[in-house]
Parts: sequence; structure tokens; C-alpha cells
Amino acid sequence: MATLETPLSRVEPRLAPAGMGAWIANASVYVWAGFLVVAALIAITGTLFAPYDPTSQNVIARLLPPLSESRRGFHWLGTDPLGRDLLSAILAGTRLSLFIGIASTGVGMAIGVSFGMWAGYFGGWVDRVIMRLSEAQTAMPMFLVAIFFLIVLGPSVLNMLIILPALVWPVFARIVRAETLRLRDQSFIEAAVAAGRTPGAILWSHILPNVAPRIVVLAVIEVGHVMLAEAGLSFLGVGIQPPDSTWGLLIARGRPYLAVAPWLAIMPGLFLALTVLALNMLSRRYAAVSGSAG
Amino acid sequence: MASNLALFTAARLRDGVVTLVLVTLVIFLLGHVVGNPAQVMAPVDAKPEDIARLAAQLGLDRPLPERLVSYFGGLLRGDFGTSLWQDRPALTVVLEALPATILLTLAGLVVAGLLGTILGMLAGALPDSPLDRVANFVSVAALSVPHFWLGLLLIVVFAVQLRAVPTSGFTSWQSLILPVATLGLVHGARVFQLVRSATFEEMTKPYTMVARSKGLPERIVLWKHVLRNTGVVIATTIGWEYVRMMGGAAFTIEVVFAWPGIGLLTITAASRQDFPVLQAAVIIAGAFVIATNLLVDLLYGLFDTRLRAA
Repeated sequence: MATLETPLSRVEPRLAPAGMGAWIANASVYVWAGFLVVAALIAITGTLFAPYDPTSQNVIARLLPPLSESRRGFHWLGTDPLGRDLLSAILAGTRLSLFIGIASTGVGMAIGVSFGMWAGYFGGWVDRVIMRLSEAQTAMPMFLVAIFFLIVLGPSVLNMLIILPALVWPVFARIVRAETLRLRDQSFIEAAVAAGRTPGAILWSHILPNVAPRIVVLAVIEVGHVMLAEAGLSFLGVGIQPPDSTWGLLIARGRPYLAVAPWLAIMPGLFLALTVLALNMLSRRYAAVSGSAG
Repeated sequence: MASNLALFTAARLRDGVVTLVLVTLVIFLLGHVVGNPAQVMAPVDAKPEDIARLAAQLGLDRPLPERLVSYFGGLLRGDFGTSLWQDRPALTVVLEALPATILLTLAGLVVAGLLGTILGMLAGALPDSPLDRVANFVSVAALSVPHFWLGLLLIVVFAVQLRAVPTSGFTSWQSLILPVATLGLVHGARVFQLVRSATFEEMTKPYTMVARSKGLPERIVLWKHVLRNTGVVIATTIGWEYVRMMGGAAFTIEVVFAWPGIGLLTITAASRQDFPVLQAAVIIAGAFVIATNLLVDLLYGLFDTRLRAA
């Protein structure tokens, strides 16, 4: 341990490292952001740019490994047991994977932010009930409850959009409440109160803009978490069902062929992993630059 | 005069019981009010009148308050109904699967704790070093991949390609290697993140400078003085990680590796439409998570000198 620096000479891990490090850090931001932009474009355009119709079968060309050719043409990521092009299937699954991640986080965020601001600003019994609820939920095995919910009510996109926001709202509620509590006693809020603005207007135009940066960082991270949860539920067979398709479901469907065609399960997972990694890298970078702890 | 510690313990115990009651209530509401157990248990092509007949057989046509009372009465007596698929008490079926889950998760936790703590302390003591950068990136990556996918990846590499370990099931101790490695990596990553920042913060405090100025070598400062002060935080972090593991990753990982624990049982019960086992598995696993949570909190209280002193 002789290489350890002394505390006096040690600097904080730099937020914006100099020289080569800075260049790599900045370049990586563009790479990750670019990846997300491409994923979003694929989600919007759907299968427009997919090399093949993701449902078209060709049994002769089944289980082709990546970078191989069939009579129909080239298959970048190979084909599945029915000869369907894997890349096309992954592109087709992008829309629902991203939609569920973003929509569920959006709903959970709306609930959490409203509850959090209310609890922090008004206090009292509402505060106690909301915080108690969010605490109890954190102590509960919510993933289990989600599995049970989806088995009993049947797996569907709508049911996913009901249960997934329920997993994320407490995170938003707790952070927004703490921020609101801190802001409430500041002079610009007192001035707004003295000027006769209603609590609703104060929350909307004074508190919300001030908690927004932290909410953004948190939301970006939570989209990743929700996408992983969706994939997990779909993998277990209680989430998205065919003919709908997400990356998580594609992994589940590739699993039986792990020994003969491992790419079927590995490739969709790689897309999911890179997307979540991009979200995490960008939110960390944003938190480091803006100085707000993610 | 009750001490602070006693008050703290009592409050935590109360919270734990309240959460447990809430979970069982949520399960009841979801299962019996929003859903219908007869619907789950009936064959897919069953007619509405068949489902109604099954519901009557199961006593599901009684008024809701009566069913709620008999549900909680059953839970208190340890009566979770009879497994449709195995024709044995559902509780027995679930309790038989619990040890396998505990073995898997505890082994995973040991790996995660050691990996996260050792690398986290080194990275925190050597900020911006190559070790710090690499370990930091790997941990962010490990937190970004789906757990079950990482498990599948390990199967492809180590079981299918290298044939070094069994792919799945529980046949020998070697069956533990891949699932434990998966859990250890994923949960070790979060332990790493927290230990790293705790260590970094602690290393800038004046007492470490005093220790150094006495001529103590860095490794003594780090592994004795700093660890003594971050120990409680690290232990709590690892405890919390166990709660997360039990309530999440352990389920998908058990399915990936066909590990005969409570997670695999839940999914099997669901596919066999065995509502009593499904309900019992979720409640028992939930109770286990809540109990672990409580234990971590109580241990934390025991080590917190502010609570102990009064």
C-alpha cells in the first residue's frame, strides 16, 4: 500500500478531468447519447429500417449464426428456430421496451412528485400517510408483489403499466419531499406567500422548477430500472406476451436454444444492457457536471 | 425507564409487523378482490358456470369480510390451503423450497460482500487510479445488465463452451458456482459503489492524517482505522443487499439455473395454476424479506452508539 497518496496531496476525484481523460469522458457522452438517439429513432420508425419482416419465416434458414447468409440475403445477427431474422426482431422489440420503460417511469414520477411536493409543503397527516406508505413499500418485496399481481390479473401491457409505476413512485416521493422541505423555508418562497400566491401556484412555478434537475437525473436512472424489471417479468413469463415483443421476451424465447444458438438469448440482452448502461452513464455524467447527486 | 435502544427496537418490531400485515392484505386484495382464485385454478377453456361452481367449492362465494377473517385465521394457524398439484399442504411445499433459496442467497451475499468491500475500499483509497476506474466501470456495467441475462451469459461461456460446470439444477456443490457468481457480481457491484464513496469520504477526515503522522503504514490506516469507522455502514449495506436479493434477483436467477428454491417454485406454481402454493410462496418469501429487513435494522441499532448510550 506504499503507493497510496497522502491526504494533503490528494485531490477530489475530478468532476471534469483534464487532458486525455476529459477528451474520453466527453467523447463517451456523445457515444452513449448517440446510442440512445438511435434507439429512440428505431422505436419511432418501428420496423421501417429492419432488413426483413420480423415475422416472416424461412424454415430452411433456421438457427443461422450471426453474420451468415441465406437465400433471402444477409443476417447480421443470425436467425431463430423458424428462420426469422433476429436483428429485425430486436428492432421490432425496441418500441415496446422503451415505451414501457418511459411510460411507467413517467406515471410513477408524476405520482411521486405530486405526493412528494404535497407532503413536503403541507406536512401534517398527509405527509405522515404518504411517507409511511412509501416506507412500507420499500420494506416490501415489491417485485414479488408484481409477479403475483401479473399472475392473478393476467399478463398484459396495460397491467404492466399499472404495476411498474407502483414500483418507482416512492423514490421520487422521498427525494422531492426532502427538497420541498428544504425550499419551503427559503426567502423567495416566503416572498411568494407574502405576495398572496396560492399554494398550487407556488408549488408549480417555484418549487417544481427547483426540484426538476434532481428529478431528471433520477428519472433517467429509473427508466433503466423499469426496463430491467420489465425484462425480468417478461423473462419469467408473467410480463409481455407474444405477439407483442420486447427485448426481455426475446431473451426468454431464446433461452431454450442456449446450447445450440446462444446468440438468440445473448443479442437482445446486449441491446437492453447497452441501453440501460447508456442511461446510467449519462445520468452519472450529468450529476457530476451539474453538481447534483444522482 | 426504557432505554433508547429498547424504544428503537419496539418501534422497528411494530413497523415490521405492520408491513407484514400490509403485504398479506395486499396479497389478499389482489388475489381475492381484484382477481379470482377460481379463475386462476380453472382450466383455460373453463365456462363461467364451471368457474362459479369451483368458486363455491372453495368457499369463495361467501361474503368478503368472512373470507378475509378466514384468510387471516388460516395464516395464523399456518394453514395456507392445499396444493392442487401436489395434494399436500401448500405451506409444507413452500417450506421445503426455502432452504435451497437461503443457501443460494447467503452464498451469493458472502461473495458480493467480500468482492464489494475489498475492491470498494481499495478504489476509495486510490481515487482515479486504474483500479478505481476499471472497477467503477465494471460495477456500473454490472448494475446495467439484466441479472438473468448475465446468468445466461455465464452458462453459455462456462457450461456450454468450456463445460467446466453444470448448466443447471442442484446436483453437487458445483451447481452453486454459476448462480452464486451471478448474484455476487450484481450485488457486489452496488456494495462496491457504496463502500467506495464511504471509504473515500473517510480517508479525508483528520483522524486518518493523525494516524499517518504517527508513521502508521497506509494499509493499517485503511484496514484498521478506516474500516472500523465504515464497518457499520458496510454491514448495513450488505444487509440491505440481502433484502434486495431475496425480493428480486434470486427469483429470476433460480429460474435461469433451475435452482429448486422458492423463486422457481412460484413460477412453477403459476404455470400449474396452483393458487394456494403461489399465494403461500409469495407470503412466506415476503415474510422472510421483512424479517431480514428488521434484523438488519435491529443490528444497526445495536451498533449505533447514540442509541446504546442512553
